[in-house]
Amino acid sequence: MEIIEKIKKNKLVKNQTEIQKICLDKLQTSPLPNPKSELWRLSNKSKFSNFLDYSFNEKDGRFDTPYPKNSQNTIRLIIGENCDIQLIGKNYSIEQLSEYELHKYIKEQISCFDQNENWSDLLNLSLSCKKNILGLKINGSKIPPIEIFSHASSDSLNAKTLVIFLEKNCDIELLQVNLGKDNSSLSQSTFFFLEENSSLNHGVVSYGKKESNLLNSLNVIQQKNSEYNLGSLHFKFNYARFEINIKQSEGNAKTNIKGMQITKKDEQISTYTKINFYGPNGFLDQINKSLADDKSHAIFEGSIIVPKIAQKTDASQLSRNLLLSDLAQIDTKPQLEIIADDVQCKHGATISQLNEEELFYMRTRGITLAEANKLQLSSYFQEIISFIPISKDRWDLLDKLLNEN
Amino acid sequence: MQSKMKESDPILEVENLSASTDNLPILKGVSLTVYPGEIHAIMGRNGCGKSTLSKIIAGHPSYNITKGDIKFLGENINSLEPEERAQSGIFLGFQYPIEIPGVSNLEFLRVSTNARRKFLNKEELDTFDFEELVKKKLEIVKMDHAFLSRSVNQGFSGGEKKRNEILQMALLEPKIAILDETDSGLDIDALRIVASGIKKISNTQTGIILITHYQRLLDEIEPNFVHVMADGKIIKTGGSDLALELEKKGYEWTDNFVKET
Repeated sequence: MEIIEKIKKNKLVKNQTEIQKICLDKLQTSPLPNPKSELWRLSNKSKFSNFLDYSFNEKDGRFDTPYPKNSQNTIRLIIGENCDIQLIGKNYSIEQLSEYELHKYIKEQISCFDQNENWSDLLNLSLSCKKNILGLKINGSKIPPIEIFSHASSDSLNAKTLVIFLEKNCDIELLQVNLGKDNSSLSQSTFFFLEENSSLNHGVVSYGKKESNLLNSLNVIQQKNSEYNLGSLHFKFNYARFEINIKQSEGNAKTNIKGMQITKKDEQISTYTKINFYGPNGFLDQINKSLADDKSHAIFEGSIIVPKIAQKTDASQLSRNLLLSDLAQIDTKPQLEIIADDVQCKHGATISQLNEEELFYMRTRGITLAEANKLQLSSYFQEIISFIPISKDRWDLLDKLLNEN
Repeated sequence: MQSKMKESDPILEVENLSASTDNLPILKGVSLTVYPGEIHAIMGRNGCGKSTLSKIIAGHPSYNITKGDIKFLGENINSLEPEERAQSGIFLGFQYPIEIPGVSNLEFLRVSTNARRKFLNKEELDTFDFEELVKKKLEIVKMDHAFLSRSVNQGFSGGEKKRNEILQMALLEPKIAILDETDSGLDIDALRIVASGIKKISNTQTGIILITHYQRLLDEIEPNFVHVMADGKIIKTGGSDLALELEKKGYEWTDNFVKET
């Protein structure tokens, strides 16, 4: 019950919103996630406890954006700083959701929450104050790429929430960057609602600093004929969870996911995905890669749920993993739950080490072992990185970060 | 390493070399000397140790040298790393060139070429200058420029992979090139292109070791010496006639030779 007490005691939460109250009530009945459930059983308890140890903070510390400011025609938003957004272009509009719209949508979501599966969202919404919830509705086309930053502050636990409605026929490219700080915990929950014929190319890049933690939850609802493409990368966190929950509400939609997590030292980073098809002709192509070095631990658990109504679903889920050290650990569990009888579904998992013959080949061309390792790892990243909607100048910085020890 | 050498000194000396992998002896006392301008062919049955010899000269970490020495330009290289051997001028053309998905062929070739150039105290090439160089070298093996933008060997046909090997040899300008079954999997036209490429690259300062099963490559590139390997040893050395003799007699006699000795 410690976390509940912590939230209750917090002076800043005196003026709780209705949503915070609802979530807090729900958390009272399950103050901590069930450690025996599939979703939490491999989670490192001491690291998770460390996540919750930091004092809750609604205010943001100093934040230096890691990229040059708007070097291109990019819309940049920072959760917690942008309160009054109204961007109208020739062919598009980006407007803030009204408080009524925002609360109505979030409440609808909460009513469908499973206490254990959505524990991270419940925590997030019980902590996120009005200022730290960014709600947008976007419509139109030829919209400039959007970047949304969410960041932690040192020595504290911060919670940020993002809600985005993509209206009919809307087509956007959105990069979400979650930044950890030294000794920090960040809770980020994101909700997307894709209306008919809309398309979202979504990138999630999350990287931390010394002893930073992250609970990152992503909830997507896709209406028919929508397309959702996700490229994600999580690295440099002492402890991080990325929970993805996608619902194709009527089927007839496309989902492509390419995700990657990199763990070093004694870090633990995990990805949980649950893809539900609630109608026929749904499509999913998912690949998740983990790369674990030193004494770190990478986890992937994915489930694809295809009920009887979801005939003609075409779904593929592949988990590919690379172990770079004898002491590193990888757990992976792609799963299918299929009731419909006319579907094409496949899943698989591989765990391997760096290819010795590839390394030898490169070395016989004068490339040093270190350089050959780097080239091989870059090639491993490439498939995922190329899927993240990120421009070249931003990628250079990311590349530098990836190559740091 | 190079400055100490005279033109008449051998490029490569393999002296009574024995080697094993996983405690299994593969080479059992191989000796071979290659002088500048010489072309040597090594022939023999599958499993006789030909490819192992080439990998050990190139420094494959899976093999242990249990006896003997490998000298390159007069210096013992037994303990050198594969990249150090390559940078100093040893080239191994692979029987099965490795595919490296996600690594562009152009970048791979540029990094390799610059590693060799650095060793030779030559200026490293930027992407622009390298493209100029590689364009010329592509003509040697009649390769299309489009191959450069693809991942290393990925999706290449057998012949394209072998041509890519010879392209690498042309760029690295090695002192000695060991070409492991470069002729396997090639049709007649591709074989001629590859053979012509090898001839264009080789000169009086370089040595070449061709590892092959068949006479057809040696019809295109006439060797000065032909060595027959069996059971981890060179059991016979002769001129180019020996290859013709092997073509007629087959390898059965090598089995008898091993049994008798």
